Amino acid sequence: MSLTPSLKLLTLAGLLSLVTAISGCTDSAFESSFVYSQGTLSLMREARDGTKENLGVKRLLDDRFGNPQHLKAWGEMPIDFGGALTTVVEIKELPRGRKVIKLTVEEGQTLPAKAANLKFVTGGFAGAGLHVDEWNSETGEATVTASESLTISASDICAVDGGTVLTAGRMLYMRHCSHCHGTSGDGNGPTARYMTPKPRDYRNGVFKFKSTNDMSKVSRNDLSRIVKYGIPGTYMPSFLLLKDEDHHAIIEYVRFLALRGEYERKLVAELSSDFSEKAYKSRINASEKKEDIQKELEEFLAGDLKQSAKTLGADLAEIWAAADTEEAAIVPSVAREPDTPVSRRRGRELFLSKTLNCADCHGIDGAGNGPQTIAFAKNPLKADELYNEPGLHDDWDNLNQPRNLQLGMYRGGRRPIDLFSRIYGGIKGSAMPSFKTTPHEDIWHIVNYVLSIPFETDPGATGIAPSVAPESLVAPAAVTVPAAN
Amino acid sequence: MKKFWALFFFFWPTVAIIVCVIAPSRGWWFPGAPMSRTGIQIDGLFYLILIIVTVTFVATQYVLGYALWRGATKDPGEKAFFSHGSHKLEIIWTIVPSFILVFISLSQLDVLAEIRVISKFPEKSTKVAEVKARQFEWRIRYPKIGTELTTEENPGDLYFVNELHVPTGKPVIINLRTQDVQHAFFSPQLRVKQDAVPGLVIPIWFDVLEVGTYDLVCAELCGWGHYKMKARIVAQSQSSVDKYLTQLTADQNADGTKSEAVKSGE
Repeated sequence: MSLTPSLKLLTLAGLLSLVTAISGCTDSAFESSFVYSQGTLSLMREARDGTKENLGVKRLLDDRFGNPQHLKAWGEMPIDFGGALTTVVEIKELPRGRKVIKLTVEEGQTLPAKAANLKFVTGGFAGAGLHVDEWNSETGEATVTASESLTISASDICAVDGGTVLTAGRMLYMRHCSHCHGTSGDGNGPTARYMTPKPRDYRNGVFKFKSTNDMSKVSRNDLSRIVKYGIPGTYMPSFLLLKDEDHHAIIEYVRFLALRGEYERKLVAELSSDFSEKAYKSRINASEKKEDIQKELEEFLAGDLKQSAKTLGADLAEIWAAADTEEAAIVPSVAREPDTPVSRRRGRELFLSKTLNCADCHGIDGAGNGPQTIAFAKNPLKADELYNEPGLHDDWDNLNQPRNLQLGMYRGGRRPIDLFSRIYGGIKGSAMPSFKTTPHEDIWHIVNYVLSIPFETDPGATGIAPSVAPESLVAPAAVTVPAAN
Repeated sequence: MKKFWALFFFFWPTVAIIVCVIAPSRGWWFPGAPMSRTGIQIDGLFYLILIIVTVTFVATQYVLGYALWRGATKDPGEKAFFSHGSHKLEIIWTIVPSFILVFISLSQLDVLAEIRVISKFPEKSTKVAEVKARQFEWRIRYPKIGTELTTEENPGDLYFVNELHVPTGKPVIINLRTQDVQHAFFSPQLRVKQDAVPGLVIPIWFDVLEVGTYDLVCAELCGWGHYKMKARIVAQSQSSVDKYLTQLTADQNADGTKSEAVKSGE
């Protein structure tokens, strides 16, 4: 019996599909690495990579945060890495190489309900892990199997299921977020180039839509709302259907990336004025000696930077942890003013007033076409240089025009408190300033007016006469447009 | 070798019969039982076509197998019967399938009209929400409690994303739109599928038979995130829907003052 050619082809195709099915799915799809910021790369080589005696920025960063395959849980950071830190109380030997390790947590904390592995932080077994066969969450007794004698002693510190949240967060982040926000959270994933507005670069530690005071960081609750409900008007979709624990893991991982980026920036800031490639060149031009600069850098790395590496972490931890406290939250002192025509009229007057001057950016009709949108703004990064295109720019150097309030699309949420927070706290990273000195009643009037803009028959038509003489309202500022370059 | 091919062509219709017999009990056809009234009718049409197609397939395959078997076992000296160019046969195999096709197209007209023709929509249906697809999520807009849904947005409308609450046991109408490219509203369990076309507001109706959570997925390749454009339809009693909308109203009007925060637990 001879197979016909078509049957042979079929068999071959079948075999091939089997082979691809087996080889297609490996963990290598997730292999990735964190990139260093432009700031780090602009430093002198010795500052970047370190010298024989001292660590450079790259190592300082990697020692604390690791890379995607080996994430490090730097205990100082206010991140829920997952699992619990415990202390060994005693070890009991059982027959056939089984051992019971009794663990305890600090007062006020609880032992996890489930435990799969132990990882030792201190003591003779530090850095090594053990698989847990049986776990008793009430007594804290973990039964393990180990043939050799273990060099564990009482009062060793041991992480139970340490880092589970962070690693889960990384897997979810790589699946759902990284193609836009990038592996390192630099907002530069493969799909980012097709997007306007650009995906957020977390590495400044700056997030726009938050319910905390203007000087505070973003809270976990704010990040959770963004992940769950998305940002209309941008490419950020809703991830509502993920589980709560997945939301939590993603948020902790985003905080991890933000903290890593911010830590890196702060380290670079310590070095950049004196030890960047550019500074080095100008110092050489100013006839400083190469050896002197390198000696100075060596001293700086050994002294100041080593010291900063410690204190910077503590500083960051403090401000990030503070964002989740009650003190940071924006809480209006008065309830929302009733949404009446009188309130809206008052809101419109404030919107146009010289003191608040909302119309300067958002336009007198709220269409996002105020005079500032056609003015050439100064580029803060390049002294005395204007941007090439007119309009407002954000901290990430992208053109970021004021919102068109007629569309009824509210990126940071449409609840009155969301709009109140945008006005009271400003929008960090954008040109929207904080109006925290404005009385809360007035902010509510503006909120009422802004919420009514999409439904106005005519711009500013509230059906009642204004209470303020028109001349005290702002006149659209004259804008001088430089000649096209 | 000749017999092998005859057996080969006997084998496949036999497999088809076995699959048809065991498939319903294994749940191979559908993602669960149909959860809407029109879904039951659509399944009926599916089974009708399935029966016609299966009978035709099995019959023609057995005839083919029989012909091969005859050819394989006949006397080497026996003369073949030549039937090519028989007008009678050609007329039969043209008329019989065309009757079948006309029968299929006529028998589904009622169901199609019921689903697609707006004047045939159930009289007592309520417009519950507007579903606006965008890359890559479903934005939902309910009318303010006590008002009618209109094409334009109105003050007090309620907004949510990726979760649509509908009452069970009564026909509901969804206004389907898209903000960017073409998408398709597809709920496999409800057997509802309709494209969302830019520039159009397309009403779709269905009645959910049982309380539960059903999938809403995009069924029109809409971009790189198409595969994760998924939402859920929560079907519940009218009183639960009302309660949900009341809660949504409260959430959407939150002014963040202390008393409010305590109430909503934020």
